[in-house]
Amino acid sequence: MAATKELQRELENKANDLNKIQKDISKNHQVRKKYTIQLGENELVLKELDLLNEDANVYKLIGPVLVKQDLAEANANVRKRIDYISAELKRLDATLQDLEEKQNSKKEAIFKVQQRIQSLQAGKAKA
Amino acid sequence: MEKKGTVTQLSSIYPAEETQKASRRVQDAIAEREQQLNQLKAFIDDNTSIMNLVQKLPDETHHNIMVPFGKAAFFPGRLIHTNELTVLLGEGYYAERTSKQTAEILKRRGKALEAQVESLKAIMQDLKAEASFFDVTADESAEGLVEIREDYVEEASGTLPAAGHTKSENTPFVEVGDKKGAYEDEEYIRLLARMAELEKEEEEAAKGDVSNENEQIQNEPNSTSGQITTDEEVGSLSVEASEMPAVSKEVSSHGDYPALNNSMMNTSLEQPREKKEVQAPPTANKTAFTGSIVERAHDIRTNMPEQQIGTRSSKPVSRFKMQRK
Repeated sequence: MAATKELQRELENKANDLNKIQKDISKNHQVRKKYTIQLGENELVLKELDLLNEDANVYKLIGPVLVKQDLAEANANVRKRIDYISAELKRLDATLQDLEEKQNSKKEAIFKVQQRIQSLQAGKAKA
Repeated sequence: MEKKGTVTQLSSIYPAEETQKASRRVQDAIAEREQQLNQLKAFIDDNTSIMNLVQKLPDETHHNIMVPFGKAAFFPGRLIHTNELTVLLGEGYYAERTSKQTAEILKRRGKALEAQVESLKAIMQDLKAEASFFDVTADESAEGLVEIREDYVEEASGTLPAAGHTKSENTPFVEVGDKKGAYEDEEYIRLLARMAELEKEEEEAAKGDVSNENEQIQNEPNSTSGQITTDEEVGSLSVEASEMPAVSKEVSSHGDYPALNNSMMNTSLEQPREKKEVQAPPTANKTAFTGSIVERAHDIRTNMPEQQIGTRSSKPVSRFKMQRK
């Protein structure tokens, strides 16, 4: 009796952990989506900047004002931003994989606990 | 007739509620994509209208316009420098462009939007296919359709059972009473062709036998000798009948698959019937005699394919018997 209760508690804990991991995964997905959109936008900007003439006037909106920027500088900034976003995406991928692995192992553990509970109950029914 | 496979209610594998739930989820996803698509279409419309405007602006050196002032007020104004535009490139970057250059930027942007629309449409098509699949499954399980799955027993070669397995997975929904449909794959057609071939061979062999016996009859037309040949016939038949158990044993020794057991049962069931017919001939001479010959030919037909094909597969044989009955 006590053993089953303990197992049940263990199962509950594991289920909670699994829930947490799943929440993390969905959060990760959302962040990823945002970054992918930003990456697309930055790539578009870079393409347009590459097409501009050397002497074209480029501005950056900082708060309420447009600040004039050097084209080369703007170009470098956008590239840096793209690099940053790509690195971030890679990092997110790694964490996502990690989380998924954790999720799978948790699922397996839960399955095992469930089996143990079942076998215990079956044994009790026989007895 | 014979039990060869399992019949499962489709609703027990895919409960109607669950499939409906799944289909609803896919429908939601489709609706979401639809919204995205509409948004993209609105962007494209905006893009084309602004492109038209930008191309028209430099036609005049200045335009008389109403300048928005605050949220609700306008005042008359004049738009000058009609060929100078500051274009937002994204991410807070602006560039000073002429209207012609702006039009080009907008064109490129339009193309990017079109590409997005295309990919979205492809995704939606996939989702729609998925949804229709779920719907069909839900309907079928609600209608109480059953899935009939027969084991494709193959003991000699290891590759064929795998093929049979995938086949049963590929066609999980078999209409009731449409057992044939499940097996109309290449494998089965090939087997049938092979069986037909063997059958023809046996039939030809049997024909040869028949003509031989007929000659015997013509040569010795009196009833007593006819009686003798019949007796001979009976003897040979009973020998063959006693051979039957051995054959079935041979078949069963290949493995204890259910289909094999069935075929064994079949042969053992057939035996008494044939023996009865064999015992009939002496009462009515001539007709019974031809009958016994037919019986023999038929006997060979049942025996031979089983001996030859039985080692390959037991299922087709039992099916063949089914057709014969």
